[in-house]
Amino acid sequence: MSSGALAGIKVVEFGQVVSAPYCAKLFSDFGADVIKVELPAGDAARRMGPFPGDVPNPEKSGLFFINNTNKRGVTCDVASDAGRALFLRMLEWADILIENNLPRQMQKWGLDFETLHAANPRLVVISITPFGQTGPYSAWNGIDLNAYHLSGASNRYCGRPGEAPLEHGTFSADYFGAVTAATWGMGACFGREQVGGGQQVDVSCAEAIAATFVGGQNIGGYAQDGIFDKRTGVGMPQGAPATIVPCRDGHVWMLALEPGQWNGLRKVMGNPEWADLDLFQDMRARAENADLIYPFIEEWAMQHDKMEIMEKCQAAGCPITAVFTIAEAAEHPHLAARDYFVDIEHPQLGVVKNLGVPFKLPASPGGPSSPAPLLGQHNDEVYRDIAGLSEEELDRYKAEGAI
Amino acid sequence: MTQALPLQGIRVVNLGWVWAGPVTGQTLAFMGAEVFKVESYARVDMTRNLPPFAGGEPGPNRSLSNHACWAGNGSVSLNLKKPEALKLVLELIATADVVIENFGPGVMEKMGLGYDVLRQAKEDIVMFSMPATGLYGPLKEVRTYGLSLTSTTGLDSLVGYKNGGPIPVENAYSDPFAGIFGAFAILAALNHRRNTGEGQHIDFSQQEAIMQMVGPAYMDYVLNGRVGGPKSNEHPVAAMAPHGVFPCAGDDRWISLAVQTDEEWKRLVALMGEPEWAAADNYTTVAQRVTNIDELHRAIAQWTQGFDDRELAATLQQQGIAAAPVLDVADLLTDPHFVARKTFVEVDHPLGFKETIYGGYVKNSGYDAAVVPGPIIGQDNEHVFKDILGMDDERYRQLVSEEIIY
Repeated sequence: MSSGALAGIKVVEFGQVVSAPYCAKLFSDFGADVIKVELPAGDAARRMGPFPGDVPNPEKSGLFFINNTNKRGVTCDVASDAGRALFLRMLEWADILIENNLPRQMQKWGLDFETLHAANPRLVVISITPFGQTGPYSAWNGIDLNAYHLSGASNRYCGRPGEAPLEHGTFSADYFGAVTAATWGMGACFGREQVGGGQQVDVSCAEAIAATFVGGQNIGGYAQDGIFDKRTGVGMPQGAPATIVPCRDGHVWMLALEPGQWNGLRKVMGNPEWADLDLFQDMRARAENADLIYPFIEEWAMQHDKMEIMEKCQAAGCPITAVFTIAEAAEHPHLAARDYFVDIEHPQLGVVKNLGVPFKLPASPGGPSSPAPLLGQHNDEVYRDIAGLSEEELDRYKAEGAI
Repeated sequence: MTQALPLQGIRVVNLGWVWAGPVTGQTLAFMGAEVFKVESYARVDMTRNLPPFAGGEPGPNRSLSNHACWAGNGSVSLNLKKPEALKLVLELIATADVVIENFGPGVMEKMGLGYDVLRQAKEDIVMFSMPATGLYGPLKEVRTYGLSLTSTTGLDSLVGYKNGGPIPVENAYSDPFAGIFGAFAILAALNHRRNTGEGQHIDFSQQEAIMQMVGPAYMDYVLNGRVGGPKSNEHPVAAMAPHGVFPCAGDDRWISLAVQTDEEWKRLVALMGEPEWAAADNYTTVAQRVTNIDELHRAIAQWTQGFDDRELAATLQQQGIAAAPVLDVADLLTDPHFVARKTFVEVDHPLGFKETIYGGYVKNSGYDAAVVPGPIIGQDNEHVFKDILGMDDERYRQLVSEEIIY
């Protein structure tokens, strides 16, 4: 048994792309025994990349590599009777199933929750989908993009007025849903004795974001007063400066709201005369005069580099940060000092860096240590040791194409 | 019959403030943990004074956004500047399983509530700290707000219109993300305690938690040395096209639309009435569509702009194409899907007003999440000091009059 915090927990993952794989990675990286079950064609992430040199190869996908560490991998054709039976046998072993198939697909395979529950009444089934298992959109096709934009997050918080609302440029709904699912799923597993067994944990990525990110800050006011806000394209329209501003070598998140912060920024800028104007002495007044103040600030910022601006402003007490590029974040000494980047040796990719643990548990450290599995890499050992197949049965399942 | 909740019997003392820390407590409370936020009228959390207020009447127990984000946390009021209050909070911690805090590194120590002190009160305590960039490292003292913290992860550099600069996200996506994530870290530590009897001090760097979302772009950097940038709503690893948000009829109405397979593309072309531009062999395969994505998206925007967003989404879904309306805040309250899932609920607040908050945003077949209105400062004082800590009436009244319980 591993020494990780989740040692002893047995998980079957039957997912693709980001949400279920990343959720299951949170379990595997912290010491749970996670078996990833893939259809014969493999997780769709294997076909997505990024690939080294942009040459597609199902064993070299960066997306698959990063979200599937510390798992063992098997293949199973659940669309066949034999494969489905084998899958259900695996679930008898498991404490948790993590899956992100559309509800209609699970039904088509004969793997609806009632069936899973009958196979193992103690099983916690974590289902992560864009819309959820119930409600009018539960029958819809959808991916991360649709979930994010259904949540209200983009219309409310990102983009210029009159132009398209924006997502983050990553799978932000999938990651949000994955983390939400790991948390609520782990809760259901932890309290399984007192709630009387297994259950389905139904996570809608759209709903989790609509509730906690958008709803929390907006819905009470709208329900009461009928007034609501939309994106403005400015970081914080009520105060200034509070937005992303270009500088000589990129961008900085310019924030100086409270008097101490504003005075700090003035000092760093060399106490320019314009900053003495009365109408710039209060954050709200500055926001009302945004079209005056931002050009002044930009003019100064364009003569300086982002890391220099960040360092000097931080020292002067302003919460100003550089907008790190991916390269700057990936090479940052702070993150390196915290061992956030971990070398993983992969049989086909070689030694490749991976992001480390999202949080540190000193008494039970976790983190990625073994690489994402090759397609079907652990078929023999898993089906022999966990599903209890004999050599003969194993050969027969393989011949029939179930494995 | 009272239903059994999975985290019943877990007690949490929450020193978290503003948004992320309270969300961590809330998440555990939804699942049945008993969570007491420790706060005080001596220094009221700024989010308690954010408008709009219930009934339009300002007051620290009436902020509607504060209530939604904090609901589930109970409240104990102690002025921790006073030594007697510090003793009491340690007495409460001695009965607890978890302590949550989201101050900067070292603040708990200065308050007299460092991990060593907590361990003396309760040997196997799980202490959860969630500073912006972790408890140690050269950048640990960095000052950020929740909405700009993402800039230190690379995430902000990916947000914006294609070929343009970064566009700010106007609120802290990181706060509820890290808040919920924190509850997972706590559950992992509780599981370790169950396995071994050992507590621990969790170092949860919000920066590192958020940077997990940057994984796909990070891999492109690691494998190819490429540094990603804003690309509107295109697919994060360019694996499909179309993949975007397109205008519909009406003011600020949009639809999200993604085509995952060539088969779906054929159905979309048929639905568009087999236009001439789509017949050209520029869009037959995913690779072609991704290569020619700018023209493709322009043409699709021409087609979508006359349609009602909801009707068009329904039509596309009938063809099995992933599409959904882009909702605004007002839509959330009336959208049939969120209504059916009871995402938002109106509750009666004990102070005599109604408030709309979010309920259990995850649906569990085995129990209903524990949903309660936002906390009043000190609402659980009598229960905590008298029932849990066994304080007598007289001493309780004295501590209230001395503004120690305050």
